[in-house]
Amino acid sequence: MDFYFGLAQIIGVHTLLGLSAYVVLLTGQVSMAQAGFYAIGAYTPGAMTAMFGLHILPAIVIAGLVSAGIACIVGFPALRVKGLMLVVATLAFGEMVRLFFFNLTWQVERNGELVGPNGAEGFRAIRYFPQNGWEVWHVTVFIWIVVAVVMAALWWMDRSRAGAVLRAVGHDEIAAQSIGLNLTAVKVGAMTAGGFIAGLGGGIYAHTVTHIEHGVFGVLLATFAIAYPILGGLGTVFGTLIAVLFIQGFLIEGLRFMGDWRSLLFGALIVLAMNLRPTGLLGEHAPRMKHLLGLRGRKTETLESKEAN
Amino acid sequence: MKLKSLLAAGLLGVSTLALATAAAAQDKTIRIVGFGASSGVVGIFGQNSSAAMQAAFEKINEAGGVTLADGSQAKIVTEYYDDRCNAEEGISVLRRIASTDALVAIGPTCSNVAEPLFGILQAKVDDGGDTGLQFPVFTDVAIKGGLAGISEWVFRNTPSEATMYDSLFAWIRQTHPELKTIYGGVEEDFAHSRFTWYEVMKKAAEANGFEVVGEAQWLLSDTNFSNQARGMRRAEPNVVAISAHPFTTCGMLREMARQKIEPEVLVGLTSSSSLETISGCAAEAQGLTIPTSFAPVNQEAIEAAEAVVAKGGQMDLHSASAWENAFILRDVINAAGIEGTAESLEEDRRKIRDALAQLTEAPGLLGQNKRMPDGEAVKPYVFVHAKDKGWEVLHEPSS
Repeated sequence: MDFYFGLAQIIGVHTLLGLSAYVVLLTGQVSMAQAGFYAIGAYTPGAMTAMFGLHILPAIVIAGLVSAGIACIVGFPALRVKGLMLVVATLAFGEMVRLFFFNLTWQVERNGELVGPNGAEGFRAIRYFPQNGWEVWHVTVFIWIVVAVVMAALWWMDRSRAGAVLRAVGHDEIAAQSIGLNLTAVKVGAMTAGGFIAGLGGGIYAHTVTHIEHGVFGVLLATFAIAYPILGGLGTVFGTLIAVLFIQGFLIEGLRFMGDWRSLLFGALIVLAMNLRPTGLLGEHAPRMKHLLGLRGRKTETLESKEAN
Repeated sequence: MKLKSLLAAGLLGVSTLALATAAAAQDKTIRIVGFGASSGVVGIFGQNSSAAMQAAFEKINEAGGVTLADGSQAKIVTEYYDDRCNAEEGISVLRRIASTDALVAIGPTCSNVAEPLFGILQAKVDDGGDTGLQFPVFTDVAIKGGLAGISEWVFRNTPSEATMYDSLFAWIRQTHPELKTIYGGVEEDFAHSRFTWYEVMKKAAEANGFEVVGEAQWLLSDTNFSNQARGMRRAEPNVVAISAHPFTTCGMLREMARQKIEPEVLVGLTSSSSLETISGCAAEAQGLTIPTSFAPVNQEAIEAAEAVVAKGGQMDLHSASAWENAFILRDVINAAGIEGTAESLEEDRRKIRDALAQLTEAPGLLGQNKRMPDGEAVKPYVFVHAKDKGWEVLHEPSS
């Protein structure tokens, strides 16, 4: 059973990473900086719990706030550029963060052992969960509570004016500006929110794997971060969750028995999925419950029948 | 007619059941699972490890398998999981293995997977306050020093690089007293290669009187080494030590050849004493000297290497450890009184852990391996050098 709880943890953490990119993508911006925010989120609470004995909850909240703060600072200059230039700018930021941790050595003595980031060798012994009696299922429940809170917040935001503003900017910047929206504020706001979510995800990730190193937070992770919402569709927060389930649950874990062929099939299935569902698995618009239940179909049929009559 | 049919069917059923019961009694199995990177850039380590495990268990099974607590024999069944050298996947794979009836796992291959993986295991046995996974892991390949100390559920049969390089540089000092300087080249972003240069090679060289006149760094995915080689050429070192895996070792060696850098002695990383280096750059690697815990220097080692080749792999210091692990586990299972039932699974795992912890020596292909209290091993080793498209034993320190 622990295996499934462990898998649920991976899916939960990657969902947070994907949601961090989802918020930014709503404004039409492609950010490759999410892996950098995730890294900041991983190292910050790792240091707080392993080096200074802080509780996990304030540690990950602080991680989220630190990442959000840095995302806000990065957002101002980075979001002055658009499209491919933004991709390059955010990619550069992500690499900068990775290389910062590649070179960061800061260790303190705790219980007779040196604990803390040790450059390229990484940051070992972030063992808050097992050391404090958390069973695997406790950790899983904790992660999914965080995921549920974040998803609920984004779902609510999507249905509020804030969501409409983000989507307006994402669909047509000029039109959005012409109705008085402050593009910089909207984009930086989205980047900050994305940074906060990535920070939460990174903080939890560090504690589930107990050891982090710079190499994890590279371009591949940044690509995954934006791949989740794009593959899942930007119509709803659930698209990201579906995409993470598809990639982490099915392509990576489900196909493990295929050995070497897995990596090949991995790419092929993503290409296939994007061809069959070019706007994402759940599409650009959130499916409504009545659509899923087929209620709309019956109504249409009735109208058509009436017209025929 | 109807009665006859019923009797025939009943007889058939009873005999089938009897046959099945007999077969089940004969087919007792013990599951030992391997895992590591068997795809991707470093996939060759897992492929070789998997082949070595398969070959070793096949040999054990041909000889009757293992003896359980009730005196019955059981065959060992094995399979190999690919973790793609990814920490998250490695943890997931180990949790998956622990959720089956596997008694022990052999792996992983990558040190960057080993560190987090060992971190999720219970650090101290019987520590009620530590909810880490309680499952024995017997590592064959991940070689970065000092990792077994992370958890008491971890045991490693990887050679001690500190001992081997200290001995190698002492031997170079003895055989080449005129050499004074050394230049290091390190694959900076790989845990093992980085650790081995900064913590092992460099310290061993300095301890044996060599002056480090420079260092060049590159990354695992780098393909251009001209700047690094230029710095090396300017320093004119007597000895060059390259702490990198075969892919970039070959890249650097080619660039050194192009820039006509010819040190008197060339030292390589343990993991590069493999077929990949020879097939990648045999000419440029000529003379590359590496300490290794495997070379086909005796009949047992030769036969083991042939068995692994027959399974589609290659025997090197890493896959040799996988082979040795299989035989060490056979002896441990035979001695520990393993019951091999579903009910005794947790207890059997604990018995294997305790038995591994109690070992002070274990048989290896080059001689007896010393088992250290922290779960690490000190293994016999030889110095090999690349010569004529192959590895040749240059010196046997024990001789």
